[in-house]
Amino acid sequence: MEHAAEHHGHAAPVGKTYVLARFETGEALVDACYKVREKGFESIDTHSPYPLHGGDEALGLGRSRVPRIALAGGLAGMFGGYLMMVYMNAWNWPINVGGRPPHAPPSFIPITFETTVLLCSLSIFFGLLVLMRLPQPYHAAFELEQFRSAVNDGFWLSVALPPGSDGKDAAALASQLGAKEVSTVKESVE
Amino acid sequence: MAAAEHAAAASGADALDAYPLMVGKQDNTTLTGNLLAHVWARPDKGWLLSFMIALSGSGALVLAITVTLVEGIGAWGNNIPVGWAFDITNFVWWIGIGHAGTLISAILFLFQQRWRTAINRFSEAMTIFAVMCAGLFPLLHTGRPWFAYFMFPYPSTLEMWPQFKSPLIWDVFAVSTYFTVSVLFWYLGLIPDLASLRDASKSPIQRKLYGIFALGWRGSGRHWHNYKVGYLLLAGLSTPLVVSVHTIVSFDFAVSLIPGWHTTIFPPYFVAGAVFSGFAMVMSWMVPARHFLGLKHVITMRHLENMNKIILATGMLVSYGYLMEHFIAWYSGNQFEWFVFFNRATGPYKGVYYLMLFCNVLVPQLFWFKYFRTSIPWMFIASIFVNIGMWCERFVIIVTSLHRDFLPAAWDMYYPTWVDITLFLGTIGFFSTCFLLFLKFIPAVAVSEVKELNEELQHRPAPVTVVTGA
Repeated sequence: MEHAAEHHGHAAPVGKTYVLARFETGEALVDACYKVREKGFESIDTHSPYPLHGGDEALGLGRSRVPRIALAGGLAGMFGGYLMMVYMNAWNWPINVGGRPPHAPPSFIPITFETTVLLCSLSIFFGLLVLMRLPQPYHAAFELEQFRSAVNDGFWLSVALPPGSDGKDAAALASQLGAKEVSTVKESVE
Repeated sequence: MAAAEHAAAASGADALDAYPLMVGKQDNTTLTGNLLAHVWARPDKGWLLSFMIALSGSGALVLAITVTLVEGIGAWGNNIPVGWAFDITNFVWWIGIGHAGTLISAILFLFQQRWRTAINRFSEAMTIFAVMCAGLFPLLHTGRPWFAYFMFPYPSTLEMWPQFKSPLIWDVFAVSTYFTVSVLFWYLGLIPDLASLRDASKSPIQRKLYGIFALGWRGSGRHWHNYKVGYLLLAGLSTPLVVSVHTIVSFDFAVSLIPGWHTTIFPPYFVAGAVFSGFAMVMSWMVPARHFLGLKHVITMRHLENMNKIILATGMLVSYGYLMEHFIAWYSGNQFEWFVFFNRATGPYKGVYYLMLFCNVLVPQLFWFKYFRTSIPWMFIASIFVNIGMWCERFVIIVTSLHRDFLPAAWDMYYPTWVDITLFLGTIGFFSTCFLLFLKFIPAVAVSEVKELNEELQHRPAPVTVVTGA
């Protein structure tokens, strides 16, 4: 994005262009993905109402980063929770409750568990939003009214075109692979 | 209706499965249409009438809360020795009801129980509303709920920290974590369906409103890639969380030294009871909802029968809990412990005790028989009984253990006041209000997951066809 702006100097920013192609079934879309990538189109994406079987491999995606984010959040919650209790009840203001020592590990287990789960879940949820770049109210694909079937019953392939390409080659390839409708959409830039 | 389901089963997938997971031949287009239909439909008279009744209940709740705040908790029937009564009974009852939602959405998800798919959204919503009702009671019982933030660890000018060795503070953390995680899990699952609503909507206002909550979801494969993992991990976290929440609720009792409360069986026994009552509550709502929302093709007799089997199983666990509690009370040889149990069965609250045994031990036994497991009226009636029975159980545990304590001179009776009763009925009204709004504005089944399930079911070879061919 930044590079594109540099190339064009001070000219009006150019929005991205996508070729959108609808396939009948999820399988057809997954097959098409492999073939489109073979032809050298790398910035492709699928859009489907539910996760496609084999979709991750077809897009060439590696392991998700979510588990590592979750682990980091969980560890932060575990140590943070436990140390918080030690600080508050044993160090900053020790209270004798029923003769238990100020630092009473068994009594601190339940809350340690809860803070672990809480921070882990929060990091998963917000980590996901960051990874998915949501909320994102505008996307070029929404320019095409038919694309709205992507979350209901359509299986769409989207190819982000490199700058300067008119997308005819990608569109032709998609039709050849059996796409039912093919369109080119341009990001609207204000 | 049963005949139609049989016919569908005969033509459908599995020879061993009497009832299919989905009736009729569905595809993504028909599912989008019929699962979202109830959101687009104008509310009918039945919904409006129920909503008005529920809203009156919420109004009564506001009244009872106002009286409680103005007069203080002296407006309740609580006294010394019965310091905990309706409030904590209702708290435990509601929190337990919430647990079925998490069990269905998380634990059955991890076990890859495909029948959970049609009912998880519904039960998760129930979890959230039930926890909201539950949280209200301890909050009000503090007497000054406007100081409730004292319970959270924040650096205050009072230089006071929460006392983390108390099960009551554990409860604050458990319930607030449970609520937060349930909301996140529910909302995460809802995002694809909100996008589905956005893009299936006809009016620009609906498109805009659902669009805001859908966050710009476009079913991207790169999103699904992370989403699937995140959802699975949240399910994995919710599973121990739900067990921990009712365990910690039971610690409120078990960690104390009151006879009848101070027992090691409480955590598993409370968790089983929570699932038992939660499934009953899901059943009580699902039977009418699937009828009125036109969801019989995705919430089939198979789902209902499986739920009844879980009610039977958890009912047996609860019965075992009762048996063991009584056995240990006798076997311990502790006269105070034994007296509590003797007093439950013969004391002034024995009616509640026998109602509890009837509802929780006898009624679920019906579900040994397929006839009752698959009979809509019977399962509805049984679920209502279980709801009542589990409320009685919490009342018996709390009130009968307290009202006759160590010294006969200190004994006293507890009677609920109208404020107690209105608060309880009011939360039922509030719960129903939230639930009816949910059923009106959000798809009651997880549309995206049902489509995925449909896809899987269609790719499964159908043994029936093979038999016919041979």
